[in-house]
Amino acid sequence: MSSRKSRLAAAIMVAGALTVTTACSSGHSNESAKTGASKAPVTATTISVGTAEDSKGPAIAEPGAKKGGTVNMIDRDDFSHLDPAMVYMNYNAEVSLLFTRQLTGYKTAADGSQKLVGDLATDTGSTTDGGKTWKFTLKDGVKWQDGTPITSADIKYSIERTYASFVKGGPTYIQSWISGDKYREAYAGPYDGKGLDAITTPDDKTVVIAFQDAHPDANFTLAMTGYGVVSKAHDTKEEYDKKPFSSGPYQITEHVNDRSLDLERNPNWDGATDPIRNAYPDKWHMTFGVQAQQSTERFMADNGDDKNAFSFHNQVHTTYIDKVKADEKLKSRTLEGLTPYVDYYYINNTRIKDQKVREALVKAFPHQQTRQLQGGTSYGDYATSYMSPTVLGYESYDPFDVLKKPQGDTEAAKKLLTDANALNTTIVYAYNNTPVQQKVTEAIRTNLEAAGFKFVPHPLDSKTYYDAIQQVNNEFDLYWGGWGADWPTGYTSLQPVWDGRAIADGGQNYAHVNDPEINAAMDAAVKIADPVAQGKAWAAIDKKLQDKAYSIPDVYQRSLSLYGSGLGGVKFDTLAGLQSPLNIYVK
Amino acid sequence: MTTPTGATTDGDTSRPGSTSDLADNASADAPADPGFRGLSPGKLMWRRFLRDRTGVVSACVVLFFVLVAILAPVISMIYGKDPQTHYGQNDPTLLTDSGLPVAPNGGMSGDFWFGLEPGLGRDVMMQLVYGIRTSLIIAVATSLLTTVIGVALGIAAGYLGGKADFFIGRVIDVLMSFPSQIFLIATMPVVTSLLVTPGEKIPEWLPFVAVTIVLSLLGWMGLARILRGTALALREREFIEAAKVTGAGPMRIIFKEILPNLWTPILVQATLALPAFVTAEAGLSYLGVGVSEPVPDWGRMIAGAADYLRTDVTFLLFPGIAMVIFVLAFNLLGDSVRDAFDPKANR
Repeated sequence: MSSRKSRLAAAIMVAGALTVTTACSSGHSNESAKTGASKAPVTATTISVGTAEDSKGPAIAEPGAKKGGTVNMIDRDDFSHLDPAMVYMNYNAEVSLLFTRQLTGYKTAADGSQKLVGDLATDTGSTTDGGKTWKFTLKDGVKWQDGTPITSADIKYSIERTYASFVKGGPTYIQSWISGDKYREAYAGPYDGKGLDAITTPDDKTVVIAFQDAHPDANFTLAMTGYGVVSKAHDTKEEYDKKPFSSGPYQITEHVNDRSLDLERNPNWDGATDPIRNAYPDKWHMTFGVQAQQSTERFMADNGDDKNAFSFHNQVHTTYIDKVKADEKLKSRTLEGLTPYVDYYYINNTRIKDQKVREALVKAFPHQQTRQLQGGTSYGDYATSYMSPTVLGYESYDPFDVLKKPQGDTEAAKKLLTDANALNTTIVYAYNNTPVQQKVTEAIRTNLEAAGFKFVPHPLDSKTYYDAIQQVNNEFDLYWGGWGADWPTGYTSLQPVWDGRAIADGGQNYAHVNDPEINAAMDAAVKIADPVAQGKAWAAIDKKLQDKAYSIPDVYQRSLSLYGSGLGGVKFDTLAGLQSPLNIYVK
Repeated sequence: MTTPTGATTDGDTSRPGSTSDLADNASADAPADPGFRGLSPGKLMWRRFLRDRTGVVSACVVLFFVLVAILAPVISMIYGKDPQTHYGQNDPTLLTDSGLPVAPNGGMSGDFWFGLEPGLGRDVMMQLVYGIRTSLIIAVATSLLTTVIGVALGIAAGYLGGKADFFIGRVIDVLMSFPSQIFLIATMPVVTSLLVTPGEKIPEWLPFVAVTIVLSLLGWMGLARILRGTALALREREFIEAAKVTGAGPMRIIFKEILPNLWTPILVQATLALPAFVTAEAGLSYLGVGVSEPVPDWGRMIAGAADYLRTDVTFLLFPGIAMVIFVLAFNLLGDSVRDAFDPKANR
């Protein structure tokens, strides 16, 4: 899953008149810095697969919730895509929960544990051949916003549509599993009247999908908004991206690009068919263009309409973290949690082939310093694996003692470099040229130079940062990047980034790791049907990646956010790393 | 009684082009007292300047800043801190987990007089002291460069007239119509990439050169226009005619006859331009296209500190106040210099 790349946002400088009323400011508590080292270890969350009983509506009610009112949402950016086929980003997917339904989805219990359940389907699907063919049966009473029933033909059409040439940026798993990697050459989409033979609809309620190979976790894949249902009768192709036809509890009344999005109730949605969504408010009013610093100040002030406001993505601005944490009044409306994203500092393995040099980089890296610059413990927990703790099968490993010396062991690194006869190896560090990242670069420079590297910082423009590091022949040795799983199994957590066969310009294998042993282990792991055994296999691959020091896992990203005092039921969605809209009600 | 006064008048008339104007002004200022008649225009200007209290005070302030800039390494040695070390990150008791200074008032203490920079925990005072160097080096270099360009092109346009004047005049018009701030932001990365090969370390001097070039590119037109006008007027004066008749070439006329008459506007313009370049440089850094880390810079400090307005106002206070005093002193000094040179202009 691609994240919103929040670190890449070009900082918009607002030159304002500064009125300094007092020369004094109070000190700041240092409690967390003292106790920070002994922070409790991350506990892995597990996601189970629910039964047909779990898949029945309505959703688990929020205690004390009542219907009615308007909920406001403030955020930095407008949703870049709303057409289900093009939704990949967590932020777009989260809002889509309100008006797009999939075959499957995630149901959150009161204790925070999550289950995969049937959303439009009666259960999470069934397979008799280890995951090669999947059969789903649709629920009774699921309807479009105009009252017509959602049928198996709609499901078939929605998947066929993802082949169309105008669909860009959405997930491509199902398409390539059905038609191979060059799926667009095999089938051009439903608009010329042709259908996809691999998907059959024996009756109005049943849909059967046949893949070329076994994919035991395909029911997780189908929970992605990217495979949400699209109405054939109301498909407006490119235009659909602006105003999709609703299958969920709300429908779009108005969408002004980069300004606002308004939703009202969909009268034809029946809560009894939906195990996931509680639809308490009558209306949603979402506005964009609010920077994190502004939104933090507005939530802290808690005035007027902001009382009934939340924010999908805007977090507490770094400079306010201490203030928010110390304020008792804010405690009840502060959300903190682990996102599915892991930050890496990718080592370019095409340029740095010596394992000892890579080990020295891992050893010397200043995790503590760089984390402090970006918000400290609220920014993330030190990573000891490539997979996030939110992924099934996660195991902490830490062969380089990052937890013991998060500030970096420059002496050990220097020794490694001396042994490898590689002192003064040049490291070109590419970074996104923002004020915070300039400081992070300073922290990295200090440590790497102390370890005996020759450090060359290379600033990149925010807009072209990913484009530049995604070039296979880029001339950088070290660069930051984040990655999160598309569904919480090891496959999407590791395969897209560390499979050597995925190295390509614009691809996700930023570190250019091409290890035949790891490639083979990944192929084997995919085929294991038992989720627990599969998780173990992925954890073994994770350890191998760490042993060979292919890159530097930095932190498991955390999120710290606020919402207005007039709202209840605002929860943190650990699968997306955002505030969830599903249980929100107006007090 | 024999009086030597005739000698001085002879001296004046022997070089009609150079100082006659100023001498006229000067004698108009103090005609009655024969004791002043022997003073050169420079000395007269100096006396007038000393009478201007604001000017003297701001000159002292400017001098103080210049001294601090020159003596920065000495101050660093006595004070025992340098601008590069991340004190806050090396000592976990100084900064909180999210990077704010633990001690009140931005971490001000006997060790860190002006407090600590949030995040990296560098010493604010040393950042400020070394930041003056950055500002001054760039501002002085830019002032010199723009003055040279402005003088050369302005006088050339005014004296040569005709096509040269037309051409230079249009170039000035075009450059002046550019929205300067946007142009600066757009050209900075281009200039930087022209000067450095990718994959190599950007040398420390490069941002200085790049900022100087970019600022100079759009900074010379004002002076050139003023000088063109003055040169145009001087061209028709008798002493130029006389020089022409005696067979002087254009180079000699420009350098020996016209230029000495233009020192007043040049000096005044240059001293007023300096603070403008200080703010322009800080502005570029504030917008993130100026001098980059780890070179200390005021503009970048203020930009960074703006984020901490509500949580660590001390960090904004020091660079903010320093900047105001610095620019104000330079501006007032420029005004005083103008008054001293050209007393009729503003009274």
